Amino acid sequence: MTKAAIHVPPKGGFSFDLCRRNEMLAQNGLKPPCSFKKTGTTIVGLIFQDGVILGADTRATEGPIVADKNCEKIHYMAPNIYCCGAGTAADTEAVTDMVSSQLQLHRYHTGRESRVVTALSLLKSHLFNYQGHVSAALVLGGVDVTGPHLHTIYPHGSTDTLPFATMGSGSLAAMAVFESKYKEGLTRDEGIQLVSEAICSGIFNDLGSGSNVDVCVITKGHKEYLRNHQQPNPRTYVSSKGYSFVKGHTEVLTTKITPLKEKVEVIEGGDAMEE
Amino acid sequence: MDLHLDAPHSMGTTIIGVTYNGGVVLGADSRTSTGVYVANRASDKITELTDNVYLCRSGSAADSQIVSDYVRYFLHQHIIQLGQPATVKVAANLVRLLSYNNKNMLQAGLIVGGWDKYEGGKIYSVPLGGTILEQPFTLGGSGSSYLYGFFDQAWREGMSKDEAEELVVKAVSLAIARDGASGGVVRTVTINSEGVSRKFHSGDSLPLWHEELEPQNSLLDTLMPEDSQ
Amino acid sequence: MSIFEYNGSALVAMVGKNCFAIASDRRLGVQLQTIATDFQRISKIHEKLYIGLAGLATDAQTLYQRLVFRHKLYQLREERDMKPETFANLVSAILYEKRFGPYFCQPVIAGLGDNDEPFICTMDSIGAKELAKDFVVGGTASESLYGACESMYKPDMEAEELFETISQALLASVDRDCLSGWGGHVFVVTPTEVIERTLKGRMD
Repeated sequence: MTKAAIHVPPKGGFSFDLCRRNEMLAQNGLKPPCSFKKTGTTIVGLIFQDGVILGADTRATEGPIVADKNCEKIHYMAPNIYCCGAGTAADTEAVTDMVSSQLQLHRYHTGRESRVVTALSLLKSHLFNYQGHVSAALVLGGVDVTGPHLHTIYPHGSTDTLPFATMGSGSLAAMAVFESKYKEGLTRDEGIQLVSEAICSGIFNDLGSGSNVDVCVITKGHKEYLRNHQQPNPRTYVSSKGYSFVKGHTEVLTTKITPLKEKVEVIEGGDAMEE
Repeated sequence: MDLHLDAPHSMGTTIIGVTYNGGVVLGADSRTSTGVYVANRASDKITELTDNVYLCRSGSAADSQIVSDYVRYFLHQHIIQLGQPATVKVAANLVRLLSYNNKNMLQAGLIVGGWDKYEGGKIYSVPLGGTILEQPFTLGGSGSSYLYGFFDQAWREGMSKDEAEELVVKAVSLAIARDGASGGVVRTVTINSEGVSRKFHSGDSLPLWHEELEPQNSLLDTLMPEDSQ
Repeated sequence: MSIFEYNGSALVAMVGKNCFAIASDRRLGVQLQTIATDFQRISKIHEKLYIGLAGLATDAQTLYQRLVFRHKLYQLREERDMKPETFANLVSAILYEKRFGPYFCQPVIAGLGDNDEPFICTMDSIGAKELAKDFVVGGTASESLYGACESMYKPDMEAEELFETISQALLASVDRDCLSGWGGHVFVVTPTEVIERTLKGRMD
């Protein structure tokens, strides 16, 4: 059998076999999509008294359409490390998932807590390899044996180490808040307040960002994921009755009803036969 | 307005390396920009390669970081094999090797500086194509074009450490004043037989040049001078 | 013209009380010319798991074949059906593998998981998952579908009401889209039965 006829699960890495066809389609005037799902985003992070706080808005966009009103942009990397993602949604999701699994394997191997710099090196080397084509802009934060760390990673693979950082299309709005109000040694509550304020400034002043505020607080040996910490944009126009349609209102041509068989569970070697 | 926020991170930079009597001084500004947005106003462009060799980076942030990471890794292996500190020449040649072999992929101008017991303080410049130049002083980055004339006039053979440091800080602050892509603070690293010393010069401690104003804490200080309050 | 608009499509899935519905239009076109009016966009993976593939029909069929193949391998190895969450991860992985030369497909996945918990999800053509608690849409009529579903959807609908709602949302939306229409195809899946209906719609 030829190799092309079977699609066995691949070992990993990207496959480029549709590239030529897609290029041909593009030449024939069928434009490839220029708008993959993006997280036109505000993501931020800061270092406070005893750890790191990360923040993100929850809007995902596809061109001008709001594709998801409440998505999660703070990704899990390790129990003590989280990562905010901006850019193409599939890329941020895939790259953080990949690195978090590498970190997990590394922990099994060494039996030690993951370090933030390990995550940083893995992320930057992957992104640098793809020369900016994997468009993930990340804010990486965590607390490890060497203390709290906050880094930003750009799609081309450059990294910065900062006490406070913002990324995404709302980064300018959020940075304005940080630049005027950030100081060293913030308390936990002050930190969460400042992060929320920066995200809100992105939500209200940047069109690519919107909906709610997610916050993640990481301290030594402890973390707290505050999903929808603030909901400044609730739906206000829900009708109490809603639309109700009379049964049989829709014109139906054919109907086929298939009853589903009850699944019987067979327990092997459950009851030993009695004599 | 197009801010080019997805443009690659680049360091429109001023970097300087100067030799003096007994060692070298490296200097750099601290601005990293994407398009016209300052992505980091306090970045550190003078990275450590080994205990006695440092590297000033300019150009694409990603490219220069990768090059410095590789060179650091190779040098540490080299030190273990050799059982003694690496020479500046070896470090500079590793930088050159990577820059030259990958010249089509890389966008990085680098300055290697350090001290070793064989040749003393040495500065090597490795510009875009991967040439290597041993020089008594060298300038790099977008801010360098404002400084060549100044250095031709102000650099002297056999300066003292303090004179050299003063010259570097003065030069970077001049470039910061005229070059839009350079800014922030001035960082210096001095390397000699006694070791390494890092110095930080905050933006408001730098000398004021032609038509520059005193630093202000608030816009209100400018709008309402003290006598009118 | 975008490659996603070449064949035209409308897809929607909704969650009800212990049940879900997934619906599509029935048109297959080549740009503005209609080729078929009984095209299947929704396919069964197993009794309680369905996938609709919007976008370029050739890729939809290829992708569907690969998914069925991978699901059969899973069944042989594990001796059970895939959970909807697992299947969604599989689809996402297959799509992301072709990140730099994608299938021009937008999948809509709907299924009943453990304890008959309904699960719906959609993705873009490179596998960025979007999980929703209420409804998901896809295809050339997605903009109108967003609007229709946003106003017509109510939580915890029973199977019959869910059918009426999803059908009305679909029919209303495809009437404002040139590239999809010619009736609809609706699956309503409850823990005990699958109700499959074809809908009458405008034929222009």
